[in-house]
Amino acid sequence: MGLFDAFDASGSALSAERLRMDVTAENLANAQSTRTANGQGPYQRKEVVLQEAGSGVGASFADSLQAARGVQVAGIVTDPTPPRRVYDPGHPDADAQGYVTMPNVNTVTEMTDLIGASRAYEANVTAMQTTKQMFARTLDLLK
Amino acid sequence: MARDGRRPLDPSFSVEIYDTTQLSLEKAIEGAAARQQAIAQNLANVDTPGYQRVDVDFHQTLADALASGGSGLQDATFSPQRDDTATVRADGSTVDPDVESAAQARNGLEYEALVQISKARIDILQSAMGAK
Repeated sequence: MGLFDAFDASGSALSAERLRMDVTAENLANAQSTRTANGQGPYQRKEVVLQEAGSGVGASFADSLQAARGVQVAGIVTDPTPPRRVYDPGHPDADAQGYVTMPNVNTVTEMTDLIGASRAYEANVTAMQTTKQMFARTLDLLK
Repeated sequence: MARDGRRPLDPSFSVEIYDTTQLSLEKAIEGAAARQQAIAQNLANVDTPGYQRVDVDFHQTLADALASGGSGLQDATFSPQRDDTATVRADGSTVDPDVESAAQARNGLEYEALVQISKARIDILQSAMGAK
């Protein structure tokens, strides 16, 4: 038992939320990319999957609760929703009918995700600050 | 033991430095630290779908330990429990960042108060011992 576990939990969330921001930024950057790095089809929107860190399924329930382990990134998955079809016959990637297959990125969704990640980041920074203050108060006992 | 946790005054009973009040304070600080850990865990999982929030009801644990008397207080441990009373969000998570922030602010102040009171008691002991 110790407040350091709280630090670790908040810290894991800071990196997880920053990764979400990174991925959102990548989605926004590629909102108009009609080709991926390997030259195949349009860019597909990516999403971060978060899961509670700890001993996972199978470990005893009490055991998984003993220490605050924070959050972990389960993986980055591609969004399977179909791409947008935009009529733009002049585009080099337009098909025979003049339609261009654009990424399935919705800038509004990305912006709200960005705000969400940013707020979650702030909340975890506040949690860290509170933990730090609590520590400092305890150290004051020795003065 | 009286309900408020103080030992009844007994002339044959020698005054201890670590009396029930000091021990209760220590345990309460331990409980508040455990609660901070649980809240940090909840805030860390604010974006985890299906996550069920945890909390430490150290007030109840302490009250029970004080009511039971004996070594109940020394042996009291604080463990996080899944909170199945909280409102479930659309993604299955029960974390409300506002609720967590409020709980955290409250718990932090409570911790601070407990430490201040402990410090006051230690200061009193120190001055009784003639320390500066």
